[in-house]
Amino acid sequence: MTSEPPSEQTPDPDPDPGATEANVALAVTGLSVSYGNVVAVHDATFTVTEGDACAITGPNGNGKSSILMGVTGMVRRRGDVEIFGAQARNGDVRWAARHGLTLVPERRQLYPDLSAYDNVILGCYAWTRSIGKARSSGPFSRAIELFPELKPHLKQAAGTLSGGQQQMVAIARGLASDPKILAVDEPCLGLAESVARRVYDVLAKIHEQGTTLIVVEEAPKRALTLCNRRVEVRNGVAANSRAGAA
Amino acid sequence: MKFGNLVIAGLVTGSIYAVFAVCVSVWYRVSNILNLAVGDFAMCGALGVDNLVRVRNWPLPLAIITTLAVVGIFAFAYDRIVLRLAQDGPRRQEGIVITFFFTFALSFFIDGVAKMLFGSDVHAAPALWNGQSLTWASLNLPRAGLLVLGCALIVGGAFWFYIRFTLGGKAMEASGENSLGARIVGIDTRRYRMLIFIGTAVIAAIFGIVESPITGYTYLSGATISLTGFLAAAYGGFRKPGRALLAGLFIGILEALLGGYVSAEYGDTVMYAILAALVLIMPRQLGFESAVGG
Repeated sequence: MTSEPPSEQTPDPDPDPGATEANVALAVTGLSVSYGNVVAVHDATFTVTEGDACAITGPNGNGKSSILMGVTGMVRRRGDVEIFGAQARNGDVRWAARHGLTLVPERRQLYPDLSAYDNVILGCYAWTRSIGKARSSGPFSRAIELFPELKPHLKQAAGTLSGGQQQMVAIARGLASDPKILAVDEPCLGLAESVARRVYDVLAKIHEQGTTLIVVEEAPKRALTLCNRRVEVRNGVAANSRAGAA
Repeated sequence: MKFGNLVIAGLVTGSIYAVFAVCVSVWYRVSNILNLAVGDFAMCGALGVDNLVRVRNWPLPLAIITTLAVVGIFAFAYDRIVLRLAQDGPRRQEGIVITFFFTFALSFFIDGVAKMLFGSDVHAAPALWNGQSLTWASLNLPRAGLLVLGCALIVGGAFWFYIRFTLGGKAMEASGENSLGARIVGIDTRRYRMLIFIGTAVIAAIFGIVESPITGYTYLSGATISLTGFLAAAYGGFRKPGRALLAGLFIGILEALLGGYVSAEYGDTVMYAILAALVLIMPRQLGFESAVGG
């Protein structure tokens, strides 16, 4: 199956002229992602400033998650990605994790037979190999404290937790890696409304504490309660826009 | 004290099974591939050292170091050339092909090369701890057997400690549980697969060297060892090295007791019947359902 690259071009490559090189957390230029002959993202260009909460929104199947996959190195891409000024390696998600960009992926990608505690502490692997250092570290304590409802379940195998609890473990694991940018892909997919609200409350708290956020969401309404910046994706083309909190 | 001596003999044999079961399950845990060639690495260790010492008159320490180095380098090359293409390349294989096929083929390859290099006679590496069996309250404790048992406990204990108490051990587990999820937090899953493959190959070779004075090896011995290690690993659902170690010891003791009390001739047949019955009666408790269901 072949799909032609969409004909439209990115209308506004950098709509935030106020963002200087010093405070640009993420700069994406001409990003394209393909799966075989199928083009999922075409020529996406946008920047995220340090401290921003950026929503990547758009209908299902239009390439939102693929943008995040390409940026974090989960899949190979064309185009340039800079994380705090450093050129990100293509197709190397480990590099991104070690340089401050951590992904909380769609469908969480936990380790189902390991305990919730082990899942979270493995986030620390991005910056240490010592389990002692990891246990006594700030990022790990912060990750555990943000989710008090997880405490009774920390010894439970992650695969046996509810969907909402698994999402919290995935976010906690991301936080334990001490990210400067936390990229969360569809955080509320399949969750009950009350749980989704709780997840968004936690994301808001993480943002308040100074972490730059990128949130992929199908529903812009929910995303814009949190985000001050929006990248709209249509047919694989990203249109950068500024959006005030709704 | 027939019973006591049979249990000791069973513990020695069982510890051999246990070590290979641990090697199989630890590597399966990190790579989702069953190492059906683990016994062949043991055979290479035993016959390699024997060949260098007996035929080429090398000193024993040098022969051991050289053999282990060759096994390690071969395992490294196999991972780099075959496993990378099979599991990481653009045409990567999945399912039963990757789980069994590549190490099964490796087993045949090693057997063929070993036949050319070492012939088809029974040989053994020189005993590392010579002398008569130690005796204690009419129990016979063969020195080579004690060495094997001691090594098994060290290997089992080391893996248990590594997995339970280190971040590296947990990262190793995460690599096998969810490769994508592991890479997200910076874990190099390919490196873990390679290191554990080389590590278990070298451990198997060491055990071949230590154990071969008890049983003697031919170029075909590897397959039998792999099979029993595989069986014991299956009792741990292929993912629990601690349980695999206990299962290996249990199978060894059961084999010795059946050989001593039931029939030396049909002991193995009865043992496999008992093991099969156990699987049928309590598959979940023995980890078989999780092994099949993933």
